[in-house]
Amino acid sequence: MLKVRWLALFAFVLAGLALGACGDDDDSGGGGGGGETIKIGASLPLTGEFSEPGKAAQQGYKVWEAMINAKGGLIDGRKVKMVIKDDQSNQNTIVTDYNALISRDKVDLLLGTFSSLLNLPASTVAERNRMLYVEPAGGAPELFDRGYKYLFFAQQATADKQGEVWAKWLTTDVPENERPKTAAYPTLDDPFAQPTSEGIEKILSAAGIKTVYRKTYTIDNPNLDSIANAVKATGADLVVNGATFEDGVGMVRALRKANYTPDWFYQTTAPSLGDQYGKAIGEGATEGVFYAVSHSKEAKTPGNPEFVKKYQEMFGGTEVPEDAADAYATAEVLAAAVKAVGTIERDRQIELADWLRENQVDTILGPLSWDDEGRPEGEFLVGQWQSGVPEIVLPDEAATTDKIIPGWRPQ
Amino acid sequence: MTEFIQTLILGLLIGGVYALLASGLTLIFGVMRVINIAHGALLILAAFLTYSLWTATGIDPLAAILITTPALLVFGWLLYQATVGRIRTAPVGASVLLTFGLALVLEGVMGLIWGNTSHSVRPSYFNESFEIGQVFLPKAQVYGGALAIVVLGGLYATLNHTWLGRAIRASAVNPQGAELVGVKVGSVAAMTFAIGVASAGAGGSIVSVLYPFLPGSHYQWIARLLGIIVLGGMGSLPGAALGALALGVAETMTVTYISPAWATAVPYIFVIIVLLVRPQGLLGSRLREDVATA
Repeated sequence: MLKVRWLALFAFVLAGLALGACGDDDDSGGGGGGGETIKIGASLPLTGEFSEPGKAAQQGYKVWEAMINAKGGLIDGRKVKMVIKDDQSNQNTIVTDYNALISRDKVDLLLGTFSSLLNLPASTVAERNRMLYVEPAGGAPELFDRGYKYLFFAQQATADKQGEVWAKWLTTDVPENERPKTAAYPTLDDPFAQPTSEGIEKILSAAGIKTVYRKTYTIDNPNLDSIANAVKATGADLVVNGATFEDGVGMVRALRKANYTPDWFYQTTAPSLGDQYGKAIGEGATEGVFYAVSHSKEAKTPGNPEFVKKYQEMFGGTEVPEDAADAYATAEVLAAAVKAVGTIERDRQIELADWLRENQVDTILGPLSWDDEGRPEGEFLVGQWQSGVPEIVLPDEAATTDKIIPGWRPQ
Repeated sequence: MTEFIQTLILGLLIGGVYALLASGLTLIFGVMRVINIAHGALLILAAFLTYSLWTATGIDPLAAILITTPALLVFGWLLYQATVGRIRTAPVGASVLLTFGLALVLEGVMGLIWGNTSHSVRPSYFNESFEIGQVFLPKAQVYGGALAIVVLGGLYATLNHTWLGRAIRASAVNPQGAELVGVKVGSVAAMTFAIGVASAGAGGSIVSVLYPFLPGSHYQWIARLLGIIVLGGMGSLPGAALGALALGVAETMTVTYISPAWATAVPYIFVIIVLLVRPQGLLGSRLREDVATA
């Protein structure tokens, strides 16, 4: 009887191994052979803290997948299949996910995730496996100080330069008597928000705008009333809030509750999330808020009208989230390199990276190019909420309106 | 001086809201020795219910409490019968694992129903304040604090002046003794759990006005609420109120006089110091496990 049990167990294990082996065969993209689907892996924060942008990024990747397949595939007539996992906004999970994508799902190519916090570990997994890693978000400067050869950021500039266009406009184009004299910088402890705010402070300080408040808060403290009260006590003419969505909304609410309206208000991330922002703080409170943004649905950049049309067809509504556009542009960058070099083979992915270092890619965000460490070398757009609608106000060639409201004018 | 008074008032107001949120958690532990890790998720569930009521009917979130509280009472009772009741006599660790699992399930279900995006409820007063001289009192926090007094007062009166309350206290102190004098400890535990969850109904409606929320927001809350009831003395209702006020004031004072970066850490350092000096918490009593479980 015992022998029969052992035989049954042995047969079961053998069957399992055989099935596993079959599964591996099915899954292998391999990198060669015509007609096989090309598997592209990514892990996104579909739940948890960053689920808002994570979901949007997933939509962007899905739109690209649909469009590239409709055009006949990526290379050699091979269609694309996106394999997307949920990292739950967790730095540990994302490492597991990218390792699984590479070793178990055996994807041919990788695409990046959302936020600097998650791209930091994910890009390390890609680098160790010598796979090209183009990311749709993750502009923290420290990502590019590690000497990585496979990492590229598919937006116009890193975080420290995100507010540059706006800060230069404020200190040169705004008449001196209308410029703020003092500035407060309440900033989230975040690898993206902090360098953005510091980059702006550097330019404004050099132009004589005095810093009267610079403090960092943490994401797990939802009570921003005391911070708003402290900022109010300084009487700063300008508030620059380095933020993500939840705390960005919390900060506007806290300033309003404290009955404090600085003359100027600049915020990172939150205002670029369209309708969600207007609904969270109230449409009237948005009037005149400045922010940096990478994409405009009205832009006449190559492929943008087609992307916007397809996005609205697939997901409805009139809004196109910036993060969806960034993800789409990321896939465009990857596709450009693959098409130019003509390979997806694992041991030749350094050639894809080298090609990106030497070439410019036209995307729906505009032309993108990179330095040796994968830092983009362009400039962000500047957005401003006007009459309940987010508009592009700078640079002039990308502007969707001629009007710039001189400051924050909540109603 | 104005700054100090303003900071103190903001701390007390947010402490009042914390007290409301923590009351159910400490009640459930006090009676059942169940650490309900799903309490944060139940708060967020109530916040989503409030959101749906507000968007569908325009009802004020404070009025919605009259719907969310009984809804969560029923849900809590069902949850007890289906899950928690089965491990009532198991060690505390089992309840931690079970309720953590429940929290994850609730998070997933909320994601399916409402999506994993941020939601906000904005009644007319959501960003308004009362002003007294140079001091401002955010209206939502004032209403939350007032509600906390009503709910905590109601719970205190129920526990001390009703037969149900006496049965709950008897079950908490000595379940076997309570059984001997005719108290149905199982039914009392079910009702206690339901009442604890119902208090999350009221708290969730206030949370929906104060902060943007998404299904994953419950992690943030459960950590803070556990800190509060540990500080106050686990199982003590007045202790939870005192712990909540202390934590609220410690947070705002840290933001104003130390740094916002320490706003989360300093209050927990305070919790650790209190526990070193007084391990049972501010108003907790030392438990003789041999007697309680004999």
